[in-house]
Amino acid sequence: MDADSDVALDILITNVVCVFKTRCHLNLRKIALEGANVIYKRDVGKVLMKLRKPRITATIWSSGKVICTGATSEEEAKFGARRLARSLQKLGFQVIFTDFKVVNVLAVCNMPFEIRLPEFTKNNRPHASYEPELHPAVCYRIKTLRATLQIFSTGSITVTGPNVKAVASAVEQIYPFVFESRK
Amino acid sequence: MAHGSPMHKLYKSIIEDVIEGLWELFAEEGVEEQVLKDLKQLWETKVMQSKATEGFFRHSHPCPQLTLQLPHNFQHVLQASAASLVIPAGRGFPHFMTPDLGALPVDATLTLPSTITYPVHVPAGVTLQTASGQLYKVNVPIVVTQASGDPSTLHQPVQQIFHPAGQPPVLQASVAQVNASSAQAAAETLHAQETAAQQTIVNQPNVVEKNHHENSVNTTFVQQPSVCQQQLATSTVFNQHADSTETPHQGNLHTAVFTPESPEGFSPPESLASNSSSVLLDVEGVIDIEPLESVQQQVSDDIIDLIIMGKSMEENTVHKDQDSTATSNKMEPTEQMESNLQSEKGFCRDIEDIIQLDGTGDVSPKEEIPHTEEDKEENEFIGIIESEDLKVLEDEEDDEECDSISNTESSSSGGVKEDPQIDIVEEDPLNSGDDVSEQDAPDLFDTDNVIVCQYDKIHRSKNKWKFYLKDGVMSFQGKDHVFAKAIGDAEW
Repeated sequence: MDADSDVALDILITNVVCVFKTRCHLNLRKIALEGANVIYKRDVGKVLMKLRKPRITATIWSSGKVICTGATSEEEAKFGARRLARSLQKLGFQVIFTDFKVVNVLAVCNMPFEIRLPEFTKNNRPHASYEPELHPAVCYRIKTLRATLQIFSTGSITVTGPNVKAVASAVEQIYPFVFESRK
Repeated sequence: MAHGSPMHKLYKSIIEDVIEGLWELFAEEGVEEQVLKDLKQLWETKVMQSKATEGFFRHSHPCPQLTLQLPHNFQHVLQASAASLVIPAGRGFPHFMTPDLGALPVDATLTLPSTITYPVHVPAGVTLQTASGQLYKVNVPIVVTQASGDPSTLHQPVQQIFHPAGQPPVLQASVAQVNASSAQAAAETLHAQETAAQQTIVNQPNVVEKNHHENSVNTTFVQQPSVCQQQLATSTVFNQHADSTETPHQGNLHTAVFTPESPEGFSPPESLASNSSSVLLDVEGVIDIEPLESVQQQVSDDIIDLIIMGKSMEENTVHKDQDSTATSNKMEPTEQMESNLQSEKGFCRDIEDIIQLDGTGDVSPKEEIPHTEEDKEENEFIGIIESEDLKVLEDEEDDEECDSISNTESSSSGGVKEDPQIDIVEEDPLNSGDDVSEQDAPDLFDTDNVIVCQYDKIHRSKNKWKFYLKDGVMSFQGKDHVFAKAIGDAEW
């Protein structure tokens, strides 16, 4: 049980989801007609705008709330969100970039070993839940960090948390437990 | 015509359809036919020049349409063609007896071969077939000449009343203009005629009655002195069921509109102005007053007000006439209202409603647009704007004003439950958005390859797009192509 706190593991952030508000009503139709790279989902009342540079997809509501997904880092997410707000501004809306918040970070981590899931679940009773008939991974929740980890028997772990730091901490926390139940 | 490819066949047919549809419309509105001709020429020229299709053939013959005019009149033929061509009486078609409004459009156009020279004498008893397939019987010998572009004459059938005495100047083409003003004019002219007594009216009572009818249909001519003379549109013969009712002494059912002024006074310039190509064949039809009046009102907006003379007279007579018109509607069968008038008006309106979004009206997506003005303009420009969108837009502007007023720091105190720090930090930076944005390669889309079509399905997976398109035309590398189905793949 070498609980190595220094885990030299590569944590790959695959997705960062953030939101921000423009504090002004947005005319979706106008955005749909004049914006570049937009998809208008009239039935649900959203406009998707995709950006190439930070490859992100933004979901825009007429209320002025914008959800930005697809970024690979928090900074990139912010950068992309601002760029998006800028393009909305260029369309003519009085956009104010407010309430920027990263709401979700999705990261993937690979353990160099495989894991025995039933054993792991037994050892981590309250936090881990495992329903092999429903899903092949163990769902481990860390309440304090508000993070959720999905641990696969191959050793691959998917972590979702409110920010990158939480995700990193979650991986560090889980490492010893997973290490215990390795094959 | 030589067609090199299906493309210009298609374009040609499109041009023909549009021009033909607009023909009557233009006539009613009092716009010179020449304008329409010019439009057509311009259009064809443009298509040719764009080389979007190969070997686009241009119409060389000037005027497909004829205005039939009574023979007496005609010395004032605008285009002085010396030769006259007699239409062989060989074409026999049944003539319309029934006052079917829909059957004969008021100004039907008759297409003669381009080689024909004007004036053309059409002997009585000949039935002619128009380009649209309508058949008209010529009851009275007529001379087809090229009319001037005078708007007044473009209107509907010119109806003339022949005095049996048949004084030459009598013939006046009355342009049927469905118009209140025209009605007035008719009345007026009627009065004018009576007063001026320059020309004899067959039967005044008849004339009056006819005028009533005419009011609905064709009266406009009076308004323009020029109309009378030159255009002479025709009192065509196309009386449809009128034939039966026509009495010989009435000549054609048409009431001649005589301008108060001397016939010769009409400005040759007007007649000359139009260049010959516009020739209208006016058809008389049975008038249905009600539709006429409704049409008139519709038309009145569009029609150029040609009332020149005797406005005062008009006013007096108009009311009377209009009233009487309604009552005496059915009396004279000879006149035919343009049955198509309504439909044409509707058509015209439809055209007006369709706002062109491309071409000169195009808006570049990357343009910086000042906010409020543009929004308002676009609201009008785009045409159909849902009311809620409009409201939304207005609300947005209100919000902006509020925002601008209570900006920055105050907003944080305005009840933001989250960290107020974030607000404070975030708000100003965006304005220094110079660093932030600059869309990469913003104008990738300045390409000339355009597709205009309908879609069956557009599908996307991540950044892979699939297009299933139908019924479209595309301009690719300067050439136009038409397709019924198109499938495409693209990566974004």
